[in-house]
Amino acid sequence: MSSAAKDEVNRDQWGTKLGFILAAVGSAIGLGNIWRYPYVVYDNGGGAFLIPYFVALATAGLPILILEYSLGHRFRQGAPATFQELSKRWEWLGWWQSAIAFAISTYYVVILGWCLSFVYYSFGEQWGKDTGAFFIGDYLATSSGAAPEGFWNMGGLQLKVLIPVLIAWAMIYVLMRRGLSKGIELASRVLMPTLIIMLIIIVIRAITLEGAGVGLNVLLTPDFGALADPAVWIAAYGQVFFSLSIAFAIMIVYSSYLPRKTDLSNTALIVGLSNAGFEFLAAIGVFAALGFLATQNGIGVDEVAESGVGLAFIVFPQVISALPGFNALFGVMFFGALFFAGITSMVSILECVVAAIREKFDLSRKAAVNWICGLAGIVSMLYVTRGGLFYLDTVDHFINAYGLVVAGLAEVLLVVWIVKALSAQRDHINAVSYVKMGPWWSISLKFITPVLLTYMILYSLWTELKENYEGYPGSGLLIIGVGAVVLTLIAALALSLNSRDPHDNLTYTIKE
Amino acid sequence: MDAGAIIMLIFGGTALWGGLIVAIINYNRASRREKAE
Repeated sequence: MSSAAKDEVNRDQWGTKLGFILAAVGSAIGLGNIWRYPYVVYDNGGGAFLIPYFVALATAGLPILILEYSLGHRFRQGAPATFQELSKRWEWLGWWQSAIAFAISTYYVVILGWCLSFVYYSFGEQWGKDTGAFFIGDYLATSSGAAPEGFWNMGGLQLKVLIPVLIAWAMIYVLMRRGLSKGIELASRVLMPTLIIMLIIIVIRAITLEGAGVGLNVLLTPDFGALADPAVWIAAYGQVFFSLSIAFAIMIVYSSYLPRKTDLSNTALIVGLSNAGFEFLAAIGVFAALGFLATQNGIGVDEVAESGVGLAFIVFPQVISALPGFNALFGVMFFGALFFAGITSMVSILECVVAAIREKFDLSRKAAVNWICGLAGIVSMLYVTRGGLFYLDTVDHFINAYGLVVAGLAEVLLVVWIVKALSAQRDHINAVSYVKMGPWWSISLKFITPVLLTYMILYSLWTELKENYEGYPGSGLLIIGVGAVVLTLIAALALSLNSRDPHDNLTYTIKE
Repeated sequence: MDAGAIIMLIFGGTALWGGLIVAIINYNRASRREKAE
């Protein structure tokens, strides 16, 4: 049997196509859908933002997602080997995407730990009246409160954070060790429907609260004048790009486990629209709840509107405390939903690294998972220190703005302009798909996506040069932020040395 | 809720959740055809 044929026989496969869809949706739906998207809509023209958002989805999000599905499905390998198939000199790009995924996993797990803690704190609303002081001061014990002056005051490991992070690691480790169909797929089959039911319950409760309409007005009343602002369009493309798990190597790996006969374009449409539909629903729930909180406190919604960590761990505890009943139940449901959304993304992030390492070093899943979880576990301890919040925020900013976006741009340029493989990929998709890829797909990938991603990078650089991110010290941004990006790049270049024949791999599944 | 907000809610909901339903119907139709072949 030829090695390629042997690969085909031995490669891991999803148990069912529905299992793959749920796992891919689970990967795409993450913390950002709940805590980032609502604020982005509110801050960029309200309801009018939906127009650039749909344009971004159609001209960048879905085209890149379908491209990644086709790459994984055609070459049936992880990202490094896939890019090596396209051009031997570009294996490093797959490693860079995998290294970026590894870096993200090291802090993503810490946020999952915070979610677990807040599930516990929901009983009896242990965060008290001043939720900001509780989260920053009591829980994270952040150096100098939230002030950036404490950036380098790392302190020791915080036990309150360390224990839930270790619990999160244990859960993730078990899922990863159980393998594709018995671990990731099974978890997605259980957690995704549960997450959606939990979100629907939260949304129904939120929109029936006093003042919910005020919040929804603030979220959805369109300001069509905002569409003339290029920043709004950049925000739409950024949201779609960061939300769909693209340029991460994840979707290449996930689709490499699909059976040969799989409708790629329809699957991508289902995943993309599920992700978008979920975050739209989350935005309704979040802003209805913020409208309620603002009404209770007699203030404007703009005074409580937040995004990210602040929304989840400072504002939402206030919402939960202000609820007329079942406070603990809704606290558990909200932080549980965040945890479920996060853990399905976390396993997908790790899976792309594990798959790449297995293929490169011919390791069993057990060995690869031990190595990757062990290394990521050690690095994640950086974010469990008193300065952890600063380091997490800095690495997240730099890795996303300069790692993920640059790697995404390089991926599109490689396929479209350098190796000119777009026609071959389109033929591959159209051979197996119900919805055929036509000129819009090619035009989006040839022109719209590269131009927009380049603009995003330049816009981020320009903002960076104007002022230090979050007012953090320049030394911190350089060492922690730029350092993280450079480290991922060095790791990628090192791992791409001694490239092997792309077909001389994938025998590892025999060791399952 | 204001009329503008309601219109955008219906617009967004129809486009996203309606689009998702259409994609699922298409997917099932393609699966049935594949099985028939």
